[in-house]
Amino acid sequence: MKIFSKVCLVLIFLFLVAMCIVEDYVASTALATVEDDCLRLEEMTANLDNIVTMEVALAVDTLEYNWTGNESKLCYLVNHKSIQEIGMEIAKLKVYQQENDVKEFRASLEAVKFYSHSYLHFMGASLHNVI
Amino acid sequence: MLTIVLRAIIIYLVVLFVFRVMGKRQLGQMQPFELVLTLIIADLATIPMAEIGVPVLHGIIPLLTLVILHFLLTLLSRLSTKFSMIISGKPVIVINPKGIDYKALKKLNITIDDVFEAMRGLGYFSLDQVEYAIMETNGKLSVMPKAEAAPATNGALKIKTEPAAIPVTIVSEGKLMKDNLVFAKVDEEFIQNFLKEKLGDKAKIKNVLVMTIDKNGLVYLQMKNGSKQVFENVREAA
Repeated sequence: MKIFSKVCLVLIFLFLVAMCIVEDYVASTALATVEDDCLRLEEMTANLDNIVTMEVALAVDTLEYNWTGNESKLCYLVNHKSIQEIGMEIAKLKVYQQENDVKEFRASLEAVKFYSHSYLHFMGASLHNVI
Repeated sequence: MLTIVLRAIIIYLVVLFVFRVMGKRQLGQMQPFELVLTLIIADLATIPMAEIGVPVLHGIIPLLTLVILHFLLTLLSRLSTKFSMIISGKPVIVINPKGIDYKALKKLNITIDDVFEAMRGLGYFSLDQVEYAIMETNGKLSVMPKAEAAPATNGALKIKTEPAAIPVTIVSEGKLMKDNLVFAKVDEEFIQNFLKEKLGDKAKIKNVLVMTIDKNGLVYLQMKNGSKQVFENVREAA
């Protein structure tokens, strides 16, 4: 076999391994960050009747900022349409926070947590995904 | 739109690279597993090209995985005859001196008409001309004709022949084939002198349509606006 083919095959193999590792790492860290941000927000707003505060607004902005950064990385690896729900829920979350709609705010926060948790199912390497 | 154009370019280059790594076999020469890979590759390439939501990597990763798989299958086929027979099958004799082997045809799921068609493609129009016909693993029919139907060869007719010489293209469409010059043991100066000597001062390399030379010194020359000329015993070519 020609050296060109051998070199190519080795490089392809290394590339595939690297991509698998990168995907797993990026997916797990990105979604863990979102979950952490959500938990922080949940704790912060647990006993609050008024969520129109600078602290909560900043926490929501942080969640949005972190997710936007991670989403652009994830778009290289997974179908963009499959991960757009978190972004949409965060947009709603911002509105609910500004309008002090605590009930909807909490529901939206739960949705973000749910999506970030369920995304791991189709992003990571698991038997479910393989089969 | 620009995204689709760029994606098409990327996928095209990757597919080109994949086929380059996989080898140069043509469709008719492919083993079953190679044909399957080719079909899958064609399908995989189109998905990220048209669907903007799907990352290009979703097309590239499976393509590259198939390259690795193809390499492994080829390697295993080479190492183990049994494995090779499992994935590629084995050649089957469909016509023997007793006639058509109907059982073999049934096993291969082909009809007598298919065999006749393949035979005609090889220049044999009658069963009487065929001693053996073998269905190869790539789906092509190989025919061994009966002695009386076999084409006469120089050896059979006891005709003395000189060793065959491969003609090397040294000029193609006005361009010097520099790698071939070394192989033919000639240089640019030789070609220019040759053209001057045979066609006059106005003849230039850029006006040559094709020029070949073999080790026996046989030169085939055709200018872009002329007809072919053959020159024998061009000594410098030796």
